[in-house]
Amino acid sequence: MSAIPELGVGIGWRPEIDLTVERLPGVDFVEVVAENLHAHDLPDSLRLLRERGTPVIPHAVSLSLGGADPLDMAKVEHLGAVAGLVDAPLVSDHVAFVRAGGLEAGHLMPVPRTRDALDVLCANVKQAQAALPVPLALENVAALLEWPGADLGEGEFLAELVERTDCWLLVDVANLHANSLNLGTDAQAFLDVIPLERLAYVHVAGGADEHGTYHDTHAHAVPAPVLELLGELCARVRPPGVLLERDDAYPTDAELAGELASIRTVVEAAR
Amino acid sequence: MTARDRVAAAQAELLRALLADGTPPEGFDTERLALQSRSLLAKRTRVMASVRPDLAEALGDRFRDLFHAYAKENPRPTGIGYRADSETFTTWLHERDHLPKPRPRRRWTVFKSRKPHP
Repeated sequence: MSAIPELGVGIGWRPEIDLTVERLPGVDFVEVVAENLHAHDLPDSLRLLRERGTPVIPHAVSLSLGGADPLDMAKVEHLGAVAGLVDAPLVSDHVAFVRAGGLEAGHLMPVPRTRDALDVLCANVKQAQAALPVPLALENVAALLEWPGADLGEGEFLAELVERTDCWLLVDVANLHANSLNLGTDAQAFLDVIPLERLAYVHVAGGADEHGTYHDTHAHAVPAPVLELLGELCARVRPPGVLLERDDAYPTDAELAGELASIRTVVEAAR
Repeated sequence: MTARDRVAAAQAELLRALLADGTPPEGFDTERLALQSRSLLAKRTRVMASVRPDLAEALGDRFRDLFHAYAKENPRPTGIGYRADSETFTTWLHERDHLPKPRPRRRWTVFKSRKPHP
């Protein structure tokens, strides 16, 4: 059980903003979507970042670790190969399922918070960990619906997952904010219950209200309540890393730099 | 029935309801199911438009409604990526005459240019 190194403040590397990420001030680390990379050939921009010593964390979106289908080991092996290629300190995916019954959801779906689903998730996570060369961190997702018959709260579910698998946590405060608005999740209780000593890094992202529902779009500015939640988290623990996710409607370099600076201010204010 | 079987059945039932007009599973809020279903469809539509901007452009205002009609009839099967999905959508459009069928490719004969004699 190796420790997670100090990562600092980072941003999600995307091909559309590769040059921006290279020249933005205050990018201590980046994250890349593992499925978008070849296992043997890095884009020049990522090669440059690695040459500078910037840590790169492969982030998977399709392992479907919370799914009842047998784990697709080719996807796990791809994630491991990308981790090797960028000499990653860790990799991550989500507490979610993306396929079932022969269909692809096309998005990260929440898992039922039942004992059965926890058993399935833990078995999948252990199987993935055994095939991965580095530690695995798992992220809480934003959900639009709630499964009936939950045995555990969201924080308790993650706490048990960590206890049973020794995985790390990737806490997405924007997802937590979305769930607290849309589903009534108690964000404070969530932060109180999860094992913060197993926190690997944090996601921060923007979203927007639409017809009374908060959508975690990654295409809008980070709203103040998300930064406030980051502050709440940082008041409890010093996260090894905090990363800004922006996936669409890319703003100017100056705006992205401003968001990174706001994140850094929150992280440092808590120290 | 194992835990995995029970979870598999529940997850499959939910995705059928969200993606393929299946019966709403018991215990879920039907409004939230509808919201999730619309959100998944909207994302699939956005991805299709970004993978195939040529189709979005060729169909113009009709793109959204046609893709929605296609998507409801054709939930994306396991292991089928967006690229393959876009091929199925293209075929679907051609079969319904929403897009002109592509003309068969002309075979070009390659003539080796003769080197001029020195």
